[in-house]
Amino acid sequence: MNISNELKVGLTIITAAVIFILGVRYFQDLPLFATTYELTAEFKDAGGLIPGNLVRVHGVSVGSVETVNISQESGKVDVTFHIDRKIIVTEGSYASVSGIDALGAVRMDLYLGPLDAAVIPEGGRIGVGEGNDLFGDLTARAPDMIEKFSEVLNGLDIVVSETGTLLSEPESDFRKTLASVKGSMAQLESLLTSERTRLSSILLNVEDATGSLKTLTAENGPAVSKLITDLSATLTTLDVELESLGEASRSLNELLAKVNSGQGTLGMLVNDPSMYNKMDSTLDGINALLADFKASPGKYLGEMKLVDLF
Amino acid sequence: MKTHSSGFHPSVLILYAKKLILDPIHSFGRYSQLLFRAFGAVPEFGTYRKNLWEQMIHVGIDSMPIVMLAAAFSGAVTTVQTSYQLVSPLIPKSIIGSIVVPSMVLELGAVVTGFILAGRVGARIAAELGTMRVTEQIDAIEAMGLNSIGYLIVPRVIAGIVMFPVLYIAACFVGIGGGMLVGHIGGFVSIGEFVDGAREYFQPFDPIFGMIKCLVFGFIITSVSCFKGYYTRGGAEGVGKATTEAAVASCVFLLLADLVLAATLL
Amino acid sequence: MISVQNLHKSFRDKVVLQGIDLEILEGETLAIIGRSGSGKSVLMKHIIGLLQPDSGRVTVDGVDINAISYADLRRIRQNFGVLFQGGALFDSMSSFDNVAFPLRTFTSMTETEINRVVMECLEMVELPGVQTKMPSELSGGMQKRVALARAVALKPRYILYDEPTSGLDPETSTTIDELIQSLSDQLNVTSIVVTHDMHSVLNIADKAAFVHEGKMHWAGTIAELHESDDQILRRFVKANEYLIGK
Ligand SMILES: Nc1ncnc2c1ncn2[C@@H]1O[C@H](COP(=O)(O)OP(=O)(O)OP(=O)(O)O)[C@@H](O)[C@H]1O
Ligand SMILES: [Mg+2]
Repeated sequence: MNISNELKVGLTIITAAVIFILGVRYFQDLPLFATTYELTAEFKDAGGLIPGNLVRVHGVSVGSVETVNISQESGKVDVTFHIDRKIIVTEGSYASVSGIDALGAVRMDLYLGPLDAAVIPEGGRIGVGEGNDLFGDLTARAPDMIEKFSEVLNGLDIVVSETGTLLSEPESDFRKTLASVKGSMAQLESLLTSERTRLSSILLNVEDATGSLKTLTAENGPAVSKLITDLSATLTTLDVELESLGEASRSLNELLAKVNSGQGTLGMLVNDPSMYNKMDSTLDGINALLADFKASPGKYLGEMKLVDLF
Repeated sequence: MKTHSSGFHPSVLILYAKKLILDPIHSFGRYSQLLFRAFGAVPEFGTYRKNLWEQMIHVGIDSMPIVMLAAAFSGAVTTVQTSYQLVSPLIPKSIIGSIVVPSMVLELGAVVTGFILAGRVGARIAAELGTMRVTEQIDAIEAMGLNSIGYLIVPRVIAGIVMFPVLYIAACFVGIGGGMLVGHIGGFVSIGEFVDGAREYFQPFDPIFGMIKCLVFGFIITSVSCFKGYYTRGGAEGVGKATTEAAVASCVFLLLADLVLAATLL
Repeated sequence: MISVQNLHKSFRDKVVLQGIDLEILEGETLAIIGRSGSGKSVLMKHIIGLLQPDSGRVTVDGVDINAISYADLRRIRQNFGVLFQGGALFDSMSSFDNVAFPLRTFTSMTETEINRVVMECLEMVELPGVQTKMPSELSGGMQKRVALARAVALKPRYILYDEPTSGLDPETSTTIDELIQSLSDQLNVTSIVVTHDMHSVLNIADKAAFVHEGKMHWAGTIAELHESDDQILRRFVKANEYLIGK
């Protein structure tokens, strides 16, 4: 026997230990040999982050989450993570939790600060940014939007009815001109009344859909992820449209306020061409928007059809 | 009061009570006593140091091939079965990796190794010690002034505790490798997807839990088998009985420990 | 000095020893004789504390071996060499390693010294050249002699022999008897020899003790043995052809 038992056993144990350490690092997605760098970030909501989740920079895995603990003092969540030493984390870097919690695919994204800023030392803390858990976002946003939507529509209602009362006073020569305004407003009113319920119900659907999505996604993976991104985009579009509607209604309100107040008799209104023009263009804008909406609601709601999938 | 028909006499009940309750408690008491004496012998490391290396070879290195073979197959089979059960195109293939790796690390690696060691090492230990008992070799050790428990049992138990994790690591390594390879060759999942899936769901506590299991399993298999072997009585037949009992008891206690550990630590 | 007082031992309901008294002085050789199954081996195991008596005492150099700690008992046992009836060789070791075992365990001898002592011991039992053989490759008588070599390797103060010559041819038996005697004479070893072989008894023993029905039926010197008119003892002795031939 040329190899002693001690040597055999020792070699085997050392080999096993090396395989163990390298294997764990491999599956933790840590560099096998390079040393790592530990940092802590303090989140208000860890969004389902657990030890072992990946840490990414620009979509590249650079390390993993080590511990997730609720801090005794601050009551917030301290997330400790390791990253590759080659990544230079400077002041101004921040972390955020992203991914879909319901799918179990949560990760931490690291956004690096400017290269010329001071480097955060080992064990230091970095700031946190808004996360983008798509599901969470969507569910959180839907009721918000519905509220905003009704608000705007309510505002428009008031404007329209006020304009109506104002115009019915048989005082002015400009009744003709204003009659067209009234016509537009009536149109707007009826349209909004009908669209309002429809939009509300659609948005409610979105909320429902996201609820059922959460359960569904346990089975479907990335397909759903894409869907959610689309939905989110739709909501963003709606948001923008609502913004402009709101804008329009605000200008109209302003206008009417002026008309109502002393300085704003109808005479003055008519005498002031800029005012007139402004009102005209505002109404035109609303008209165009509503006409567009009426003609092709699909443009706004097309992507919503995806919701029907579920 | 009339007694029931034939065979149901109170003494039968007492006999059953003794068999079902008292005997196991008695055995457990003797087992604990043996362990207690074994722990007492740990400081006399010098006298059994040489024995320890030998046992580590027997328990660990000699078991390596069969453990790796079994682990490779269980990893491969888990991969094939998982991919067979995944029919939905919506589920990414990488999920195979995220099932095979934790299965191996958390359960299969330790339990497959455990069963093989229970059969291979447990039976060997019981037969060895049993034969030493019935041929008075244990008496001979004692008569020389050596602590037979320290000399025979401690090295085996330590070897079990040290070498089981080593075998487990080998089992996981080969099992995961086997899974990957079969997934790749069989076209179920590419190695890249497999690793991605495994990483997505990898938790550092998993291998730690696997290691804790190993320490416990290594201890159970060797100590239970030593107990059965050390207290063998009754010649060749007694040795045979002790050998069977050691393998069976090791497996049963291993499964029990598996459940208890999973319930308490996971 | 070893003394046994009023020793009782039963296994479950089988009574084996019921009141054994025995005394062996320093440097003496005592032969324990008795019929097969009379409890000679059981008595021997009590003397080194491998079995605990139901009642009675065993003292070695005045120390009750059942009243001391395990560590102390083991220290006392290190003064003993024991040849078991079946040899009890470690079957995982070669003959050499078996004999070397106590030397390696209890002395700080170098391998060369151990090698010398082991060879010496194996020669004493007329088995030079078996050192590489495993116990399973040896005959029963050879195993016994290797076991004897192991028992005497450390030159202990007390040696217990359980039937050292049973199963051996007369010539080898004589060599073993001579070995026992020379150890006793030269190293002043105190010996207890359990045997059926009256030839051995007469050759090597200073005293004899006859165990019968769990009791010490008769004890005395060899000279007294010849003159004893105890019927049971006479019958046992007569059964040995050697004495019949006398
Ligand atoms: N461990 C044991 N358990 C139960 N009974 C035993 C045990 N050891 C010995 N006996 C019984 O004690 C009796 C004496 O046994 P022992 O071996 O001392 O006989 P012995 O005088 O040495 O006989 P022999 O000359 O044949 O060796 C036997 O009847 C045996 O059955
Ligand atoms: Mg006997």
